[in-house]
Amino acid sequence: MQQREEKQLEASIESLISRVAYLKNSLQNFIFKLENEYDRLTWPSVLDNFALLSGQLNTINKLLRNEKTPSFRSQVIIPLLLSQDRDEELAKLTEVRVPVFSHEIVPDHLRTKPDPEVEEQEKQLSAEAARIGPEAAQKQIQTLNKLCSNLLEKLNNPREERDTESGALRQNKASFNPADTTALVAAVGFGKGLAKCRPPGPVGPAQPGQGPVPAGQGPTLQQVAIPGCSGQQAAIGGPVPPQQPGQPGKIPSNIKTNIKSASASLHPYSR
Amino acid sequence: MEAPPVTVMPVTGGTINMMEYLLQGSVLDQALDSLLHRLRGLCDNMEPESFADHEMVYLLKGQQGNPFLLRARRSLAHPPAPWHLRYLGQPEVGDKSRHALVRNCVDVATSHSLPEFLNEMGFRMDHEFVAKGHIFRKGSLKVVVSKLFRVLVQGNTENTEPLSLSYLVELSVLAPAGQDTVSEDMRAFAEQLKPLVHLEKIDPKRHM
Repeated sequence: MQQREEKQLEASIESLISRVAYLKNSLQNFIFKLENEYDRLTWPSVLDNFALLSGQLNTINKLLRNEKTPSFRSQVIIPLLLSQDRDEELAKLTEVRVPVFSHEIVPDHLRTKPDPEVEEQEKQLSAEAARIGPEAAQKQIQTLNKLCSNLLEKLNNPREERDTESGALRQNKASFNPADTTALVAAVGFGKGLAKCRPPGPVGPAQPGQGPVPAGQGPTLQQVAIPGCSGQQAAIGGPVPPQQPGQPGKIPSNIKTNIKSASASLHPYSR
Repeated sequence: MEAPPVTVMPVTGGTINMMEYLLQGSVLDQALDSLLHRLRGLCDNMEPESFADHEMVYLLKGQQGNPFLLRARRSLAHPPAPWHLRYLGQPEVGDKSRHALVRNCVDVATSHSLPEFLNEMGFRMDHEFVAKGHIFRKGSLKVVVSKLFRVLVQGNTENTEPLSLSYLVELSVLAPAGQDTVSEDMRAFAEQLKPLVHLEKIDPKRHM
């Protein structure tokens, strides 16, 4: 009987040691990654690491809960010899983390009760739990369960339902204006609304002609587009006869003559 | 002056015809910060680059049909940098299922005498504007968030006024002709920016 128990104990301790070794390895890898590759780390890979750790902790828990494992609580570990000398065997076993089996490491490694501060907090919590009474506790448990199930339902529901209610929320917080989009695209595409101001004929009669065109853009552009263009026209309207050669496209007739002369001479260098 | 669609032209050597795949949208000024944060998270990790450019669009009016358009761009933030000349063709009228606007694109860097050269060639400046904003990059995807300013006095880029209360957001990829997987990637990226900004293909001719 005792032999069987001993064998079981040994076997379970072996498997526990190996599981803890896996956990230690993955923790080491994760810490290394965090310290050295933090600029290349992506959130999904961090989540993967955490998932791995949680999986390994789960296996350890299952192992401990297994009926074949004897209760470790009934085992007692008593240090028989404490010395300040360095113990090589121990150092090798623990990868030089515990080189000396001395008085300092005993409270940490052979601890059976939680830290005094933690014990205090636990006592406070259990006192408070006892204080509120069983019915109030039950009611609180029920509200917590209801909140969790509501949240789960909201998260698991199909996307469209979520979108419609969030769409309604976001109506008052619209982050873009489609009219602005068309105005900006038109401006970049072919200069609509920018002061190109190409009057169809001489500047005078063209002004009322140009008037409705910028005004048509008024409701779409939130900034005042009209003064911009008519400001330019006013500038041209002043000195009507002396057409500055630098002003492009103000009088198409000028341009046509220019192009005609260019095509008439064609390739001057080929002569 | 309309060239046949680039994808049907045989490759006869010289440079590869690059196509620009484009999706455009806009975002209001007050939502700009959240968009920049989101882009910073989604795009490649680099210092966010801001730019200030002055673009001038030159037109060559031929005898027939549509005028020929060239865009000359210079940096106001780095004046010694070379000028950038770009030709953008007509949008390819492919299958409607393509998610992005595709057009032929030719880019060259030029010296600072570009405006005089274009004027001598017969081009006339049609309009100009100033664009200031930020540029992000994710692989070959380029996201440009810019505010357009109208130049009030021609040639004077100090005196500008904003064109609207929104920022223009453009998602573009430069790829050789014929790669249609690019538009899928662009659409996936655009999905991630919803609902802050809706990037879609906007045909400029529709708003002529």
